[in-house]
Amino acid sequence: MKISFVSNYAVSKALSYQLTSLQNDLMKAQQEVSSGKYADVGLALGARTGQVVALDRDIERLEGLQVSNGLVSARIDVTSTALTRLTTQADSLMSALNVGGNGNTTEVLRAAGKTALETLTGVLNSSHNGEYIFSGVNTDVQPITDYFAPGAANKAAFDQAFEDHFGFPRTDPQTKDITADEMTTFLDGPVQDIFFGPGWQEDWSKATDEGVTNRIGLNETAETTLSANMDGVRKLAMASTIVADLLDGSLSSGAQDAVISHARSLVGESVADINQSTARLGLVDKRIDDANERMKMQVDIFKTSLGNLQNVDSYEASTRVNNLLAQIETSYALTTRIQRLSLLNYL
Amino acid sequence: MSLTTALGIAQRSLLSTGRQTGVVSQNISNAQNPDYSRRSAVLISSAPGARTVEILRATNASLFRNGLSALSAFSGQAALLDGVQSLTRSVNGVENQGSASILIGKLQQALQSYQTTPSNENLGGNVVESARQIVKSLNEGSAAIQQFRGQMDQEIKTSVSELNDLLARFEQANRAVVNATQSKGDASDWLDERDALLKKISAIVPVSTITRGNNDMVLTTQNGVTLFETVPRTVSFEAIPAYSADAVGNGVFIDGVPLAAGFGSNTDAAGSLAAKLQLRDDVAKTMQGQLDEIARGLISSFAETGPDGTLTPLAGLFTWPGGPDLPPAGTITPGLAGSIQINAAVDPTAGGDVNKLRDGGINGAAYVVNTSGASYSALIQKYSENLDKPMTFAPGAGLGENTSVTDFANGAISWLEQTRQQATNAAEAKNALLMQTSQALSNETGVNIDEELSLLLQYEQAYQASARLIKAVDEMLATLLNAVE
Repeated sequence: MKISFVSNYAVSKALSYQLTSLQNDLMKAQQEVSSGKYADVGLALGARTGQVVALDRDIERLEGLQVSNGLVSARIDVTSTALTRLTTQADSLMSALNVGGNGNTTEVLRAAGKTALETLTGVLNSSHNGEYIFSGVNTDVQPITDYFAPGAANKAAFDQAFEDHFGFPRTDPQTKDITADEMTTFLDGPVQDIFFGPGWQEDWSKATDEGVTNRIGLNETAETTLSANMDGVRKLAMASTIVADLLDGSLSSGAQDAVISHARSLVGESVADINQSTARLGLVDKRIDDANERMKMQVDIFKTSLGNLQNVDSYEASTRVNNLLAQIETSYALTTRIQRLSLLNYL
Repeated sequence: MSLTTALGIAQRSLLSTGRQTGVVSQNISNAQNPDYSRRSAVLISSAPGARTVEILRATNASLFRNGLSALSAFSGQAALLDGVQSLTRSVNGVENQGSASILIGKLQQALQSYQTTPSNENLGGNVVESARQIVKSLNEGSAAIQQFRGQMDQEIKTSVSELNDLLARFEQANRAVVNATQSKGDASDWLDERDALLKKISAIVPVSTITRGNNDMVLTTQNGVTLFETVPRTVSFEAIPAYSADAVGNGVFIDGVPLAAGFGSNTDAAGSLAAKLQLRDDVAKTMQGQLDEIARGLISSFAETGPDGTLTPLAGLFTWPGGPDLPPAGTITPGLAGSIQINAAVDPTAGGDVNKLRDGGINGAAYVVNTSGASYSALIQKYSENLDKPMTFAPGAGLGENTSVTDFANGAISWLEQTRQQATNAAEAKNALLMQTSQALSNETGVNIDEELSLLLQYEQAYQASARLIKAVDEMLATLLNAVE
């Protein structure tokens, strides 16, 4: 009976088993040192691997949101610039009207009205990235019909309203006989209907009232465009249309004054309305900035926790590599010495 | 006592030393053979002055049994780990990059950029392409799982025929052992052969051994089913040519009794056969169920419900052969992951109209939601929200029943990685145990060349002494004969 017996097979098997497991560890440790992450994240984290995938995905998603918010912000900037052009144009029409009240020629006023209407049409029909920015949701269609284009529906509707109200066409000499009161009734009635009634959507604008709604944060949406149907635009359009169309010298001076004073009050109101819309848009822009800021912070937090989950301490890992190398070298040395150790050498 | 007697004893001593040296050389030549048990040639005195050599084979029955059960446990665990690793690679790709979870994230991003500019058809096409990637991943994952089940089935078949073959060889070895024991011959070589066969058998199925008279051995499985008694019992199995998601594999029968599949990621399966049954019927099937539920979650997240959300929900972006109706809720539809597809009505490459994704109406005019214009984004946002909204999943998938499809897909990864982690840890532990027991057994029954050499020195000396004795007796007899002359 031998208490401490060792078989040659067990000795060589133990040596090779230890070497393979050491080499396996070394390979993993090396990979961890170079990548800074666990060599096999799934194996290291087990059930928490899903968290890593979720964090990865959320980070990409939040970064994607910030990119798309950049696009939305750019559109808002373009819209704000357009609104500024509108108010500038409204201001110059206003000053022309103020001067016009003091005996300016109707021709100058009419030109100012025409410029205003053309600018308005141009600005509202401007596009960004292939989308008409003032079309509401209907962004693939130009919102405003050009009043001065041949056969324009809005011009025709205006002339028709004139004829229906006064009983004679726009070109009739009787136009001269329209009094200031009659003109005021016309402007407050049929013309008002054209711009603020169903006629606006029929002949003037193809835009929808609602704007484009965008997701600006994970759980946050905002309406980020303006519509050509907003009151400020309608008022400015009405003011510039009546000035451009009616002040062609065919009216009596009383009727002309009625038109001018009507236009003046409309332009005043429109500037206030447009400024209000600009302010509202500014608020949305601010919300987007805030959302971006929040998402950046979230991404930072997510990246930190992702790091906590899957990163290894590279200092610890490189120490481990060194230890393993030393261990393997010892093991090699030991193997040769043990293999050399045989009674055969002494017989 | 006479000189002749002395000569006779010295002669016999030479003979037994010869036999002992033979045993030493056999031991040395098998020093690296793991299945070899050390022999020792022991001198036994039978009658006064008479010595015979008897050959003893080193054994340790309890260590050997421990070794067999450690081998069964390790081989079962290793088979399970191997299967889980292969499933991880083929279903989720390298570092899970091809998993449904990651691809749903990409779809979310595509939806996000589409909702920013809904009038841009290219972005809509991008959503459809992202969806196609998910469909591809699910289809391929499902196919890989079914192929894996088929492969397991084939491996089970191979193992079963190998087992039958091993049992037949075991019968031969056992019979030879019994015969040798009965005729008081040396059974050592056959015993080595029989032990080696036992190791191979217990890597496939766990065995308990009972030794009867004349060294006859009876084999049973752990739960008492006879595997071998005088003659081998049949192990039968029938493979299925191709697997579909709802196919149920056949069982393995030992002597008519079904073999139980393993359970758990630190599996209780002993032997590779039970582990392969577990992979085929439990692990792969659960994974298939999870993929099917992900597919169902996607189909219902993108379902159309009409402008007021009150119409019968019908399949939208994602559909299946049973569409446009949705797959039944709260239960697994086997094979759904393999048959989920992109709805041709929105697929530009199949002549569909991407804008229907934005406007609704995939299922006819009644389902049209957008009547205002090209930049309508509410429906796209709803789809994106639906992916994050909790829904009811089948309890059979084992991942929680009330969660969003995104989290569910994540859960599937967690489940698989957890299984892999536990299986790896268990395999390491079981391997260590196997190493330890086989080392202990080898230390009990293996050969140490140094010892054999020192024995050889002893025998050499004994031989020299005997030879010297013969020479001395010869000289004495010569002296006597010379004196007579």
